[in-house]
Amino acid sequence: MNSTKKTTTWFIIITAPIACIMISLCLGRYPIPFSEVVEIFWCKLTLSTCTLPDVQQSVVWDIRFPRAVLGAMVGGSLAISGAAFQGLFKNPLVSSGILGVSSGAGFGAALAILLFNTALVIYPMALFFGILAVCLSYMIGRIYKTSPVIMLVLGGVIVSSVFSALISFAKYVADPYEQLPTIVFWLMGSLASARVEDIAIAGIPMVLGVLGLLAVRWQINVLSMGDKEARTLGVNTRRIRGIIIVSATLATAGAVCISGVIGWIGLVIPHISRMLAGNDNKILMPLSVSLGACFLILVDNLGRIITGSEIPLGILTALVGGPFFVYLLKKTKGGGW
Amino acid sequence: MTLVNIEKASFSYGTGHIFKDLSLKVDRGEICCLLGPNGCGKTTLLDCILGTLQLKTGRILINNKETKGMKPGQRARQIAYVPQRHEHTFPYTVLEIAMMGRAAYISMFSSPSEVDKKIAEEALEMVGMTGFRNRPYTQLSGGEGQMVMIARALAQKTPLIIMDEPTAHLDFHNELLILETMSDLVKDFGLSIIMATHAPNHALYFENKGISASAALMHQGCFLAHGSPRDVLYEQSIKTLYNINTKVVSFDIDKDETRTQIIPIGTDRLQP
Repeated sequence: MNSTKKTTTWFIIITAPIACIMISLCLGRYPIPFSEVVEIFWCKLTLSTCTLPDVQQSVVWDIRFPRAVLGAMVGGSLAISGAAFQGLFKNPLVSSGILGVSSGAGFGAALAILLFNTALVIYPMALFFGILAVCLSYMIGRIYKTSPVIMLVLGGVIVSSVFSALISFAKYVADPYEQLPTIVFWLMGSLASARVEDIAIAGIPMVLGVLGLLAVRWQINVLSMGDKEARTLGVNTRRIRGIIIVSATLATAGAVCISGVIGWIGLVIPHISRMLAGNDNKILMPLSVSLGACFLILVDNLGRIITGSEIPLGILTALVGGPFFVYLLKKTKGGGW
Repeated sequence: MTLVNIEKASFSYGTGHIFKDLSLKVDRGEICCLLGPNGCGKTTLLDCILGTLQLKTGRILINNKETKGMKPGQRARQIAYVPQRHEHTFPYTVLEIAMMGRAAYISMFSSPSEVDKKIAEEALEMVGMTGFRNRPYTQLSGGEGQMVMIARALAQKTPLIIMDEPTAHLDFHNELLILETMSDLVKDFGLSIIMATHAPNHALYFENKGISASAALMHQGCFLAHGSPRDVLYEQSIKTLYNINTKVVSFDIDKDETRTQIIPIGTDRLQP
């Protein structure tokens, strides 16, 4: 990649999510012109009094802004975790949920709804079970030490299916009028409950995870050569693998516990990035964060605008992402696959 | 000057020994060809040198330093590896692959610098692959792909390169091209190469080219012989090694160049 192209790419990576956030502040059931959004922002940042009505200020600052930021974080986290796992497992069909974090978190949330039914408990329970699921996969992966990567995938498959079964069980025993719909809606994914405080709680694992993955991103290139080759190239494969798994788990678990299970992003955004910028993780991973963030914000906007009642994100990401992915495949001829 | 010194090396999976009490020395600027039938332990020995497997007893020294206990990064500055068959994953460009050879010099949290890029480009130049630098390596032919793997090993800037059957599944032309490239690397840059091969003629080829070459014949977990290819490769030793009948022939291709080759004649199987 030559230097002008590099600069342009980095410019887009940084500005695109900011632009998407700004756009989403204007859109919704209660449209607000861009100039007023800017004015509200200016007032809030400079701590001066604003002449606009309180409702408008509240819609922009308390409702749409946290939601957009959280959407950006969730989308970015899921996308980069997917990209990292694809490199780690040398498999383009892997997504961020491969080690069972999504099903684990799903079960944690379902359990919390069954037992307590308050949002306060759902987040920590989902986070805890998401991380627990990955720990279990990792332990299963260590039973056979000769082929750690394949065993890890197998561990993930086993743990995912066990937790999926447990989710079904939770649905089965749930009260069908109150709890069952809550569980089902939670599993379909939504940012509707996003508040400023949530950014602080769920944001920490997401930011830590994303930073961790960005830090070792070039080593993922080498790791994707396979364990033996990576080691002969001088990489401490066990340590890098550990960093990737811990970071990706933090990022994904943080995302899932706040937004529910949103599939598709962790699989397809990395591929879209591959088609656009190639496979070098040095550029691929930051681009995945950026595209994941933009994609989820835009899809969330669609969900808010199309109908009066919000359409769950898990449904829309697939409905919007699928055709778009096919279009890109056709346009870029798959980018060397 | 000795670069690699293998002393009384033994390895076993569980109970049965794969090899026992192997000793071998490889000099700087020497190509050592490991020969032996399938399953005799060539790849296992290479894996022990590379550190992906651990010897049960004995030791391996490189530059008088024991390899046991070296960190992957330290080891990778001494030994580079060209795999027999590289499993393709993502369509990285040829230059990106060559840059991965710099991993041992790059800290965990950073990525290749301009200097690393330049070294990778030089490595591609050395094997004549500069024109391919922006091509996805998944689209290369077998011979080109193998050249990229050699370039990646060269970017590691090691005194020793381990090659596991580098010409397996290559056509007639590419096989010779790889051998010629290897000869040049040893002659021009004083590299040492330890290669596993199934073709005794490879060892003779290097010797014919006037390169310091040796052949180590692995048989039932021991070295049957180790020495200059023309001394250790003859009808009887090949018969012991592979159980086939051969004929060693010498012929002049120029006024002053004589080639020695081993021609396979037949196995001892009973005719139906």
